[in-house]
Amino acid sequence: MSIDFISDEQREALQEVANIGMGQAGASIAQVLGEFVELSIPQIRAVAAAEIPAALAALAGDGVASAVRQAFIGELRGEAIVIFSEHSAHDLAELLCYGDALDTPASRELLLDIGNVLVGACLGGIAGLLQTEIGFSAPSLLADQVATRQLIQAETIAARCALLVEVRFGLEKRAFRCHLVMLMPDDAVAALQRALDRFIEEL
Amino acid sequence: MNPPAPSAASPALLESLVERIDVGVFAVDRDATIALWNRFMAVHSGKSSAEVLGQNLFAVFPELPRPWLQKKLESVFVLGNSAFTLWELRPYLFRFPHTRPITGGLDLMRQNVTFLPLRVSGGSVSLVCGTVFDYTDTAMAHARLQDAIAALSKEKDAQRELIGKLEAAQNQLLQSEKMASIGQLAAGVAHEINNPVGFVNSNLQSLKRYCEQMLSLIAAYQSAEAQISDAALLSTITALKQALDIEFLQEDLPALIKESEDGLVRIKKIVEDLKDFSHVDESDWQHADLNAGLDSTLNVVWNEVKYKARVEKNYGTLPAVACLAAQLNQVFMNLIINAAQSLDQAQGMGTITLSTGHQDDWVWVEVQDTGRGMSEDVKRRIFEPFFTTKPVGQGTGLGMSVSYNIVQKHHGRIELDSAPGQGTRFRVWVPVRQTGEAAP
Amino acid sequence: MSVSVLVVDDSAMARKMLIRALPADWDISITQASNGVEALSRYRQGGVDVIFLDLTMPEMDGYQVLEALRREDLNCLVIVVSADIQEAAQARVRAMGAIAFIKKPVDPVRIQAVLKEYGLLL
Repeated sequence: MSIDFISDEQREALQEVANIGMGQAGASIAQVLGEFVELSIPQIRAVAAAEIPAALAALAGDGVASAVRQAFIGELRGEAIVIFSEHSAHDLAELLCYGDALDTPASRELLLDIGNVLVGACLGGIAGLLQTEIGFSAPSLLADQVATRQLIQAETIAARCALLVEVRFGLEKRAFRCHLVMLMPDDAVAALQRALDRFIEEL
Repeated sequence: MNPPAPSAASPALLESLVERIDVGVFAVDRDATIALWNRFMAVHSGKSSAEVLGQNLFAVFPELPRPWLQKKLESVFVLGNSAFTLWELRPYLFRFPHTRPITGGLDLMRQNVTFLPLRVSGGSVSLVCGTVFDYTDTAMAHARLQDAIAALSKEKDAQRELIGKLEAAQNQLLQSEKMASIGQLAAGVAHEINNPVGFVNSNLQSLKRYCEQMLSLIAAYQSAEAQISDAALLSTITALKQALDIEFLQEDLPALIKESEDGLVRIKKIVEDLKDFSHVDESDWQHADLNAGLDSTLNVVWNEVKYKARVEKNYGTLPAVACLAAQLNQVFMNLIINAAQSLDQAQGMGTITLSTGHQDDWVWVEVQDTGRGMSEDVKRRIFEPFFTTKPVGQGTGLGMSVSYNIVQKHHGRIELDSAPGQGTRFRVWVPVRQTGEAAP
Repeated sequence: MSVSVLVVDDSAMARKMLIRALPADWDISITQASNGVEALSRYRQGGVDVIFLDLTMPEMDGYQVLEALRREDLNCLVIVVSADIQEAAQARVRAMGAIAFIKKPVDPVRIQAVLKEYGLLL
């Protein structure tokens, strides 16, 4: 699907901003976790509400996954979703100083912690480049070990369509992999466009 | 969005707000040295700000999960973003006594904690501020709600089970009504057959006597044949004898009568079995011989069995058992029919073994076949109403559930031993006496 | 005589951002390339003094360009400009012959300092 609600120039700016934001986030996360972080080039596209579940499933692949959501609030408004396939997050328990015995509450808290770190770093980086303040809600668990098609239910999605910015995260020496998806409802895209235009003007 | 302009409100006002707000507020620097400790924290921890300011957080509260919390604080310092703990996943961070010493509740205060990055002089994060929210009441309400949901779902399960039982009882009722009317029909038929069989039998006895008498007379005539001098008469007699094949006739007549007598005996037996089986006149508890019941049941269903299996009997001596004999016969009938139907005719004649025995105050009746056997799934479901492995129209799926309920009614049990390809063995155990009944 | 500068980045926006951050008083002529293959072919035409090189690009990435330049006896100055600012990435490109590593978003002050350090700017 083509991105019909932002211009090519805005899209290019968003791509570059996301790229730089993710790079900064990667460096910060590498510092927190003490490991080399691998980041993909951000993918940006617009999706209709009904297609969001399938788009998330396509990112996560077949099988079982968990997801954490977190709202971002401010001039830029939307929700970020971090998708963890299978139990790959358990790989990070040690790096975040969780004990050996990872019971259900602890493994959920671990997902929330990782989600919070990734979302805060990446979106914070983007907001910083766009010179806008951004706040975050506490993270919450969207899905715990469900089939990837069931990560989110289409009927619970309030927006008509959303701008989807996707980045893959991994650690060079570990099995851990996750996807960070930033979803902005169509009515919040205008604010993003203004911010991007400001950014372009200042070049 | 621009940060609000530095407030005109006096720093003293803000300080007093932080001090008095009903939320725990504290701050630590990068070395976890406590830089702020408001009244909420002091009241709940029992440690005043004078005691803790300038101290290391982990030294003052050694019970904190140190490596994990250090990592969390570190991530806020490095990333400059908030971090959180939620009471649902981590009930509390600080071991604060709960706020209901009188009305009771949870042992410790449930907390949501947010860690906020503070940039005091702009630039990098110099302090992390923790805000501690008391979620004890929410947690208690949540627990009550969970309890209520659990109770409701338990109740719902019980209701579902009860509905299942009701359905089973209704099905059993239908089935036993059906069986009762079949029994009445059978008894009626048996009664109606009894009368003609009675007079046929009595006539046959007379016929047999008359035939014997006639045959002895003919024998006398035959011995007198030599005395006949009239050649024409003699040749007529000889021709007639040849035409009638008198010798065969004299031999066959008693045999025919004997066969008819046997047939009548069998008819009488079947009629008796039908009456036995249905026990129309005896719907009450009685003391019955289960070996006899098994035999009469086998006779009733013999047609279902005889072309498929040899039947081996291995009966023990049984005491009379307090039972509803007609109903137990129904159980035996179901078991025998199922045994016969489980036999694969492509494999030739199978074997059904009927055994009975006696152990302490219990007797058992066993029906074993060399048939297909059952899978684990079938074994699990065999006593469910409407469960059948037979093609549509051939089984109601009620036989085994009715049998199960009848045996339950006798305070007995049914044992099942079966595996695919290994045949099946059902053993019905019933107590000799029912509770409340005195030993003889 | 002006300095010949080659700016390599797959994002036109990023190239624009970099060019705007270069010192206004620096006497240069600028050419651009949007991937590693284009960059190498421009370099082989000769006359390139300084390359500003992005790392993550399609076709041929910055690491591969550095590798190729080293094989061909690098005789220009390569300054890596990247969003991937992890310490490990910086160390890696320096080991491959880059003279400096500049973080995105590019800071004009930092660029000026690097250029002065290598005598490209007085």
